[in-house]
Amino acid sequence: MVKRKVAALEKIDADFASLQYKIRRDPKSYKDDFLKQWEQYEAQREIFFMSPTTAAADSVESFHNMIDLIAHVADCYPEETRTFPDDLKAIVSQNHETLHHELRDKVVGSLVLLRRKEVIDSTSLLTTLFPILVSSRSKSMREMLFQKILSDMRNSNSKSTNHPLNRTIQAVLYNLVTADRSSPRAVWAIKLTRELWKRQIWTDAKPVDVMKEACLADNEKVVIGSVRFFLGGDKEREELEDESSDEEIDLAKVKHQITINKKSRKQKQAYKNAVDKVKRQEKKKSKPHPLNFSALHLLHDPQDFAEQLFTKHLQSTKNKLSLDTKLLVLQLITRLVGLHKLTIVPLYSWFIKYLTPKQQSVTSILASLAQGVHNLVPPDALEPLIQKIANEFVSEASASEVAAVGLNAIREICSRQSLAMTETLLQDLVQYRKSKDKGVMMAAKGLLSLYREVGADMLKKRDRGKDATMGISSGLMKQRKFGEEEVGGIEGLDLLAKWKEEQRKRKRAEKGLPEDGSDVSGNEKDKDEDGFNSDEWEVGSEDSSDEGEWINVEHSSDEDEPAPKKRKGEEDDEEEDNEEDSAAELERMTKLATTTILTPADLAKLQELRAAASVQKAMGSKFRKNKHQQNPDGPSHADDGLTAENIEAPIRLRKLTKEEKVALAKEGKPDREEHKSTQAIRKSKKDAAGKSTSNREKQRKKNFLMTLGKAKSKQKRSLVETRKVLKGHVERSTRGGRRRNGT
Amino acid sequence: MGSSAKKKAEKKKDFQKPKYKVGKAKPKASNFTDTSFRSKAIVMNQQSLSTVAPDVVQQFKHNLSLASSSRNDKQRRDALAYLTSQLSSHPPVNPVGTNILLSKLLPLISDSSTPVRSQLLKLLRVLPEDEAKHSTEQAIMFIRAGMTHLSADISGDSLGVMEWLLDVAEDELVTIPGGWVKTLSTFCVTMGWSLASAAPGWTSAARTGLRAKDAQTLARQISILSRFLQAGLKSETAAAPGPDEYWDSLYRLPRSSNTFEYLNLLGSRRDEEGEMYPNREARQQVFYRRFFDPVTKGIEKVKKEGGAAGRAAVGLDQVLKSGMGDYAAAAGMDAQDLLNLW
Repeated sequence: MVKRKVAALEKIDADFASLQYKIRRDPKSYKDDFLKQWEQYEAQREIFFMSPTTAAADSVESFHNMIDLIAHVADCYPEETRTFPDDLKAIVSQNHETLHHELRDKVVGSLVLLRRKEVIDSTSLLTTLFPILVSSRSKSMREMLFQKILSDMRNSNSKSTNHPLNRTIQAVLYNLVTADRSSPRAVWAIKLTRELWKRQIWTDAKPVDVMKEACLADNEKVVIGSVRFFLGGDKEREELEDESSDEEIDLAKVKHQITINKKSRKQKQAYKNAVDKVKRQEKKKSKPHPLNFSALHLLHDPQDFAEQLFTKHLQSTKNKLSLDTKLLVLQLITRLVGLHKLTIVPLYSWFIKYLTPKQQSVTSILASLAQGVHNLVPPDALEPLIQKIANEFVSEASASEVAAVGLNAIREICSRQSLAMTETLLQDLVQYRKSKDKGVMMAAKGLLSLYREVGADMLKKRDRGKDATMGISSGLMKQRKFGEEEVGGIEGLDLLAKWKEEQRKRKRAEKGLPEDGSDVSGNEKDKDEDGFNSDEWEVGSEDSSDEGEWINVEHSSDEDEPAPKKRKGEEDDEEEDNEEDSAAELERMTKLATTTILTPADLAKLQELRAAASVQKAMGSKFRKNKHQQNPDGPSHADDGLTAENIEAPIRLRKLTKEEKVALAKEGKPDREEHKSTQAIRKSKKDAAGKSTSNREKQRKKNFLMTLGKAKSKQKRSLVETRKVLKGHVERSTRGGRRRNGT
Repeated sequence: MGSSAKKKAEKKKDFQKPKYKVGKAKPKASNFTDTSFRSKAIVMNQQSLSTVAPDVVQQFKHNLSLASSSRNDKQRRDALAYLTSQLSSHPPVNPVGTNILLSKLLPLISDSSTPVRSQLLKLLRVLPEDEAKHSTEQAIMFIRAGMTHLSADISGDSLGVMEWLLDVAEDELVTIPGGWVKTLSTFCVTMGWSLASAAPGWTSAARTGLRAKDAQTLARQISILSRFLQAGLKSETAAAPGPDEYWDSLYRLPRSSNTFEYLNLLGSRRDEEGEMYPNREARQQVFYRRFFDPVTKGIEKVKKEGGAAGRAAVGLDQVLKSGMGDYAAAAGMDAQDLLNLW
């Protein structure tokens, strides 16, 4: 829209900005002028509606100006401008395809402005904008609308959750998704939901429901978007939260800068803002953490959902999803199956077709398979799969990487359902631990160590290892039957019990009583110990010092003490005792949780002990191998899925490509864009960080001419002078190298 | 810089005037480039050899488009002048038709340049009246927009266009949808006779202390309003039914532009403002309900001020008395009541 040149006189006359300013200052006095402009707006609207598509640039421009003016002053005359929002809504929702783009943007902007002035409410604004967003063909328009909708949602949820609005919008989105399953319009519902989920504005089950419906759409884009939401939406949310909490402000630094730089109002304001922000962050920290369930947990009826997904996207032969999409869907299904322990028996036979080394991205299929196994899957369904993997992947003829992948996959499956393995196959597979290839060897060893724990009697006797053999002979270790559940316990509870025992012993020792006093006498003590603990409970220094002590005791008693040979007989006795003790301890340990109420202090201590134990284990102190197999990178959570990387051999074992080698070599070394000495690079880094030079450096860099004079005079010094200087040096060295004032 | 004598001299040289001498050629400038050339023949790529100028139709259309969309106001005015001369020639040249001509030119009512607006009025005056009648609905929209324009000049000039429309098509003007109520409310707003004076409390004293120019405009507005009211409220006499009228209404094609408009078959639902008021009584009714009080109050006020505006107000008062004298309030069922029921 090219603006026509405006004559100077007219400019003064037709100045909308000043009129707007005046009206806003004093709405009562300028009512007549406003009414005139309102008439003008009506007339322009009429002219515009005569032919919305072919309006001349001039009329568009004047209409644009009128809308702008009226929108800005609408809150001053609510009675007169009653129809204005509806007019705007009608204009934009009927003509958004044909409107001039500036006018269109202005109308949308005015509607948002009216919302900000609280002339209209969010619901009516959003229900106007959303249909346009869905149907518009202009990219810029859609972008703008999406932004506006999102920001309005955020604003109206900023102070407190606006439940009615959220419900309305969620209903709109739900209807959009379910109305037409094959249309790509539902993408907008997904985008909006995902964004609001990410920002933790929507955290309940309704948006998950929207996504669930979107997963069952016919349109591939919609399916991908919603499946990705389930697979990654929660991680995204966590990342955003971390990001926002990362921005720490160093108040001291800001303060220091104020003392250095020029003092201005801006600086003061900046400091104030920083203080505000820090306060807000602290307040946020002290707030209780909101319970945000992951989308997968909020699903209603996951069994039905997983079945529908499976039959619709994977099992049916009609659909034309690409392999990548299928893999995504498969990941979701198996994740659901593993997480909620669902039973979808046809799922496992579906896999058979894809379990060949030539299959594209087979590792991710294998990962999905392993992910979809849990201890309630019938072993009969899994047995042929394992057999097939073993036949296809693990053989002398296949490449070592392939064999390693196959073994890893079998291990992952069997770690979730150990009954799926047959004895002969296991014994065959275990033989690969003698393989020349390191990957295969490690994978086979992994399988072996897994079965030493979960099913040692399937292994040959010589493979069982000491622990398992002992366990079998003593009858402690038995293979679990199908459907049998482990007796639950609280992790680290034994540690807590032990710690309590120690504490009590110490207290008694302090009071001069025998350490192993009867419980009857100690009971009351025990009680007020507990009371003492929970009353003056603090996670502060006291506890940690205690804990250090505890570790020391442990070391001295168990390991560091040299075991003299002569007490061999005694030790044997002790061992027997220990076994009995351990059984008793187990009982007592469980008792602790069932007979006493764990105070917050106890729980905190428990947490601490657990952490200490894991640290100790990581440090490599000689602990007996834990019952649970540890991943190299920390224990994995049940909510995290299994990825193809877990199935593939560790990256170190693969043959590295050149780029990877270079990257490895470069790791931890300074950046080297040009050829410079390491020192020079360090120097430039120091400069960049704004640090000063050292004294030595200053000395070295001193101008030569400045040093000349001193050097000359040094040669001409008399003996007396030299003595004086040397004496002065000695004297100064006693004072830390400093000169006295005046010399 | 510039300390040495040499440099000073160099600097000075830039500002020395060349000396002209009688009878000698002007000395060439230092940056003179010789652009003359010599050639044996000159070849022209394209050449129009037609001897006739573009025909009248073409020129008319060209000027029409210039008038409606040129950015240069002089060009717009000149194009309008050309169109006027064409239209006023005998017989008038108008290859596009009055309706299209008007739809192109009416937006110029709110044109920013005064000469263009006055030229537009001249052009409108030469248009054939019976053809211009059919564009009344369009014209009144632009006139209303012009009358409420922020710029006083434009709103003053659009009064002239209103006058033209009253001359041309006063009967259509008061009967078309929106022609009666909307135009009246525009008049009231421009004169500052507030419609919603029902609000209790202080009344704002608009237009205290008129400037001479404002007073003139006000007088003009009032006189045109009185013409408008006269057109709307004049007593109607039913034309004597012709002998063929009955058969005509049955078998002959209607000749007005939108015969069945009162049925409003295609448009959106009209509110009170956009409604048609086809007969005098309906007009009286709506006028009485919405405008009678503010207008009478306004008349009183202006009368007291006297001057040209006062005299015009007296005229308006008379029109009002003759038009509304025979009106009995609440005479019958109101159309608005029906609408409210709906």
